[in-house]
Amino acid sequence: MTGYDTAGSIQNTYASANHEFGMEPSFWIRYFAPSPAADLFNDDAVAESQGAWDSGGHYVGCISAPRQSRLSGSAAEGHADAQAFAAAMLAAYHAVGPLQLPSGGRLYCWLDQEYSTSLSSNYWNAWANYIANYDFAGLGIYPLYPCLYCNPYAPYPNCSTIAKARGVTAPSAIWSSEPEPCGNPPGPSRWDPQECTTVPTKLWQYGEQDACNYSSNVDLDMGGPGFTAAHYCFYVKSRP
Amino acid sequence: MRSRRREKEVRSLASWGCRVPGGDGFGLNRREVLAGSIGASALVALPDLGLGGLSGARPGKSGQGASRYVFLYGTPRSASSASLVVTRFPVSRAASPPVTVPVAINLAAAPVLSPDQAVTALATVDMVPDGAKITLTLLDGTSAAVARQGSVTVPDVPHDAHVLVTPVFAPDSAIVSLVLAITVPAARRLARKADPGTGSLATQWATTWVSHHALAYFDQRSGAITGPFHLSDEPSLALTSAAANGSDLLMWTTREPQAGDPAEIRAQASLSRLTVFPLGSGTARLSVPAPPPWPSGEPLVTLPTGDVARLVRGRDVQVCSARTGEVTELGIPAFGQARAKPSAVTMQARSDGTVFMTKPGAGVAVVADPAEEFRITTHVQFPLPASPLGAPWSKAVLSPAGDTCYVLGPAATGGICAYDVGSCKMVGSHSEGRQYAGLYQLPSGVLLAVRPENPRLAFFSSGLSPLGTADTNLDVSAVF
Repeated sequence: MTGYDTAGSIQNTYASANHEFGMEPSFWIRYFAPSPAADLFNDDAVAESQGAWDSGGHYVGCISAPRQSRLSGSAAEGHADAQAFAAAMLAAYHAVGPLQLPSGGRLYCWLDQEYSTSLSSNYWNAWANYIANYDFAGLGIYPLYPCLYCNPYAPYPNCSTIAKARGVTAPSAIWSSEPEPCGNPPGPSRWDPQECTTVPTKLWQYGEQDACNYSSNVDLDMGGPGFTAAHYCFYVKSRP
Repeated sequence: MRSRRREKEVRSLASWGCRVPGGDGFGLNRREVLAGSIGASALVALPDLGLGGLSGARPGKSGQGASRYVFLYGTPRSASSASLVVTRFPVSRAASPPVTVPVAINLAAAPVLSPDQAVTALATVDMVPDGAKITLTLLDGTSAAVARQGSVTVPDVPHDAHVLVTPVFAPDSAIVSLVLAITVPAARRLARKADPGTGSLATQWATTWVSHHALAYFDQRSGAITGPFHLSDEPSLALTSAAANGSDLLMWTTREPQAGDPAEIRAQASLSRLTVFPLGSGTARLSVPAPPPWPSGEPLVTLPTGDVARLVRGRDVQVCSARTGEVTELGIPAFGQARAKPSAVTMQARSDGTVFMTKPGAGVAVVADPAEEFRITTHVQFPLPASPLGAPWSKAVLSPAGDTCYVLGPAATGGICAYDVGSCKMVGSHSEGRQYAGLYQLPSGVLLAVRPENPRLAFFSSGLSPLGTADTNLDVSAVF
């Protein structure tokens, strides 16, 4: 059950990726604001959703990659970044009629913490609290769950920061960027991503484009045992 | 209004017992800062001194920079927040290791360096009984002492509000604009939510927040602050982008989408708004829709014409007319190749009117000429470093003379490399197997590379000779 993540648009990426790996993805993970160095899903959510539909991967997960120095910063910075992320997801949801929340009611929202970035408690707690308590689309439900993409064994604070989080600020899952055994789908036969001690790794980026010399602009991801990543993504019910 | 009491306290670092070896006492009083800020960041100063005896050190500009401090911003290992510290520059391999000294902790936001690199601006927010007290401190680069400081209290801001402060320098102006994003709780309700671990429903309080912006202006000559001027842009996203020229502040904001928005409003959701304020004023002289993406920390440069360039999506430049708000989007071909992963991107103005832009995730650094639609005049290609997106975002620097581009070494070997800009060929490299995360060139011409474990700071001559290392307990996020 391999999915793709990409900083490019789905509609401009899927054909080469499906051709290279000989499959349709189980899910996509795409960048939403604030991600100042990426093409954003929310900038043209209709075309992106059309691309997802056409790719055969009808599920779209959400990640935000703020300017990385901000992750060391204050609660006000974490709160502002989460506010923009939630707003971007809502704007996409409004723009695409067939874009639905997960049937299980849990949309995982990933914060991108890169290897050399340190995550402060003040930033994380404010970011996660805003995401967890966001009344999405005024539906009276709170379907957003904060999660962390990171390299768990990096020497910078990541696992140690979230280990101090409590209640709704505790992340639901880790998406681990290491190790990278590479290879093609369906991915490694043994589940062996890096882990934090307090939060389970549920998603593993086992193949990264640059490290694995993939020609298409995607990284490869797989869910852990008993975890179906697509169930925690937006669902494109029909072609918009 | 100006706080003389605070300035006095800020100057009293000597009583704290921390002093730069051979330097003047400076920095923010620890008690004052701890008591007053809601942020999570810290700052360290680093004197770029003693270059006279340095073999291979080549000052960046004649007569400039030989004694300028450099400020390190990041997160102390023992704290929940980031800091600013100071250390003495190593004069030789045989010299004593540099000592770092904290300057400020719990900053409300990252510092901002003035265009002429003379001062670094720090913003702090203190919640006081009648509102939020915003303090702007300008640290002098040559002494690391407080050059100017001023405060303003925004009344009626609740104690649990989030206040973001973004200082904006204007080239050729003494006015520093302060863009304030004020986010306050608007409603609170009991919500039922599934526990992520057990799946069981739990009841919790959930808060709805609403943001608007305000402006204030700090006069570097008098230390006076004008404002705050509240803008009627609620509900807005707190995140903004802002830049200034000699007469105007240009500010990008985004309306926060609402659940009940009608279709015609929803159709405009991808747009932001560009508003132009005369410096010192809270009344806009221009406000127009602006094309995507939303403002979110993208690099900005004020051009010699007074217009502002935004580097968006890591590949395109939007040139925004300060006079009309018209936006012209130009692709940067060298940055155009799509990748799976975003890359750090930087854009810096140069004294000759060109801009230096880097995209380490594509292994590219260029010099472009805004006067010729960002025509690329120099294009250096290099192997990808190990962490092209992580902090710090500076992974390639151009020598002040513009003849050499220094970059972090390839992922396989680490170290640093030098490229001749004329030939675009690598002309030097140094690696001891260490992977660095960020690279800066100090005004003296000395290179500073940062890494995750001590010694976190490594200094090199412009010829890539190792000059020394320094320890700090700070995970460095940026250097100013």
